[in-house]
Amino acid sequence: MSEILTALRTELRGIFADRQVRLIILAALVIYALIYPFPYRAELLRDVPVVLVDLDRTTSSAELARRVTASEAVTLRHDAPDMITATRLVQERRAYGVLVIPEGFERALLRGAQSPVALYADASYFLMYQRVMQGAAIPLRQMGAEVEMGRLIAQGTAPDVSLAKVSPVAQIEVPLFNPAAGYATYVLPAAFVLILQQTMLMGLALVATRRGSGLGHPVWRILGRMGAWVMLYAALLPLYLIILPALYGLPNLGSPGAVLMLGLPFVLATGLLAQCVAALFRRGEVVQVVLLAVGLPFFFLSGFAWPVEAIPAHLNWIAQIIPSTAAIDGLVRVSQMGATLPEIGHRLWHLWGLVGAFAVVALWLEVKARPAGNADHHGA
Amino acid sequence: MLAVMLREFRMILRRPALLGLVVVLPVVMLLTLTGIFRAGIPTGMAVTVVDLDRSDLSRSITRMLDAAPEITVREQALSLSDARAQIVTGHVRGAVYLPQGLERDILRGARPEIVIFYDNQHMSAGSMVARGARGAIDTAVAGLRLSIRQGQGEASVQAMVSIQPIPLQAHALFNPAFDYVHFLLAALVPTVLQIIAAAATAYAISLDFGPGRHPQVLARMADGVLPAMLGKILPYTVIFLLILGLSDMALYGWLGVPLRGSLLLMATGAVLFVLSTQLIGAAAFVLTRDMGRAASIIAVITAPAFGFMGLGFPREAMSQLAQAWGAVIPGTWYVQLRIDQSLRETPLDISVWSVVWLGCIAAGLGALVMLRLLRLRREIEAKA
Repeated sequence: MSEILTALRTELRGIFADRQVRLIILAALVIYALIYPFPYRAELLRDVPVVLVDLDRTTSSAELARRVTASEAVTLRHDAPDMITATRLVQERRAYGVLVIPEGFERALLRGAQSPVALYADASYFLMYQRVMQGAAIPLRQMGAEVEMGRLIAQGTAPDVSLAKVSPVAQIEVPLFNPAAGYATYVLPAAFVLILQQTMLMGLALVATRRGSGLGHPVWRILGRMGAWVMLYAALLPLYLIILPALYGLPNLGSPGAVLMLGLPFVLATGLLAQCVAALFRRGEVVQVVLLAVGLPFFFLSGFAWPVEAIPAHLNWIAQIIPSTAAIDGLVRVSQMGATLPEIGHRLWHLWGLVGAFAVVALWLEVKARPAGNADHHGA
Repeated sequence: MLAVMLREFRMILRRPALLGLVVVLPVVMLLTLTGIFRAGIPTGMAVTVVDLDRSDLSRSITRMLDAAPEITVREQALSLSDARAQIVTGHVRGAVYLPQGLERDILRGARPEIVIFYDNQHMSAGSMVARGARGAIDTAVAGLRLSIRQGQGEASVQAMVSIQPIPLQAHALFNPAFDYVHFLLAALVPTVLQIIAAAATAYAISLDFGPGRHPQVLARMADGVLPAMLGKILPYTVIFLLILGLSDMALYGWLGVPLRGSLLLMATGAVLFVLSTQLIGAAAFVLTRDMGRAASIIAVITAPAFGFMGLGFPREAMSQLAQAWGAVIPGTWYVQLRIDQSLRETPLDISVWSVVWLGCIAAGLGALVMLRLLRLRREIEAKA
């Protein structure tokens, strides 16, 4: 028991006495908490600028333009005489789409023929493309339905019958969770988990590379260190995954208990992985550079931002070794989607499995590093 | 200076840690990223159908949903709460609710509701699922409206015209194949390279300029501190440019991402980009003269850089301050230049500004490093 406590104290001293480790585990956590969410503070894209090329210049085309501008998603900010001028505005990034109303738009409508309009949306930015399409399609569809109804009523069909004919089904879309489609709400809960993992990996791996030979049985040493991580992160993890999201006003449907239940194996697995990383790369400088470089690939491997369905099977298999993969999925489902522990049970077991596997490797490394001598002291 | 460069190349070959950081690490990261995105836009994401009608119509809607490329109908849920539970656990990404009496109510003109539920917490997947389901239901409803009209004796061509008085012809500008996967990859490669180039350069400099090292030897070799530093940096510029070039050959050759713009502008941009990211590393080191603190500065600047580039959430929608912060990061301009010159076929007079900005950043960082080195010169020469 005393050997465990010694190892625990040594590890805590290793963390708090080293300026650089303190900087990574504590200061970096604060700085990242400020910088990462910074681009997404606006949350929503409103009034994306679109160029109007109105070749018809009639009351009907003006009415159409008015309706599109009234939509929340887009606004017709510029007028252009032709497509060439309009394209240049888009290339200058002053607009993200072009709405072309062709000549004869009104005439065709009055004649009862089809009267198409064209929408060119900038598809080099996925989110902009979506907003422009959405913003223009809904008012267009509405105006089309009104025209069709008007024609039916003019033919003598009763209004309610015409409505059922124009739109026999009411089609409703309900986004479950993140209903406002906020970008911060989407990306931050996952990003915070990854930041926690990367700073912890870096800090604890640095402690491991700078550690002198310890005393006591390897098992007690590792248990002691695990105790130190749990003590430290019992404070940091709730701060980062419960309080920080609340400060940013992110929705929270989960119970803190479930977050902590997932957090425990996540912290242990990450800490043990840090021991393996330290043994693999040995030098503190190298450990830092490598861990910096893998952050973004780890994020996309986790299957959160980029759907797991599109990730090749062998890469996805490798991704399961990284604690953040299971932790991001589990923690996002708990905190953002209100999942209960049994509902994400497989993630919980997955993380405990990683703890077991990394513990075996860490123990083997510990024994290998100091083959004899200390083994006799155990049970003191 | 040449002597220092040659010495550096020999050092890279001799030291496994250095070789690993500047060659193995970037290559492995680029291969991983390519692997993640190679398959392209995800297809066949699971949705569930809550079919309470169990009519010919509801079955045909289910079949149409299953036929949409984005989605696959995985399981039938018995109730909405069942469907919600399946979404929460992650078994499916969305659900389509077909109410009881759907077919009958449509025939009666009672306008029943079809509801698409989707997981918008996983927004990228959720919005694709919603789009797939919306498209399938749109097609089903259009078919219904056609058959209603035809049932009343309207000719099919006329009926087609009538149900859509203002058809929208949607075009994806610059990216007709909607291939935003490879586009994302084209941006992620420089982002990761930016992190590695800055950190590895700082590390390499620390090996000669760090505490307990002997920069005066280098300075004597190159005839001055400034040429010594340049000789230290340039070998890595060559290596990172080679890696960037190889990955671009894969991207634009093998993966077939269109390259429509000026190669000269792209190449100028690449050189300035690699130099400025390296100068971030150099500046971080000469300012702190400690690899640990330098790494922290590099981490703060380059690790969150991806968000500021505006590929996910666009730059124009960010606050002024966030835009300004993004503007001092070289990757922001280089990625913009790549998108402009590969997909968007942007005219040179617009696109050249990205290169000008890159040049300004490189010059600013270069001046910072130089000023700091001039101060250090006395110290170093005193030792010599």
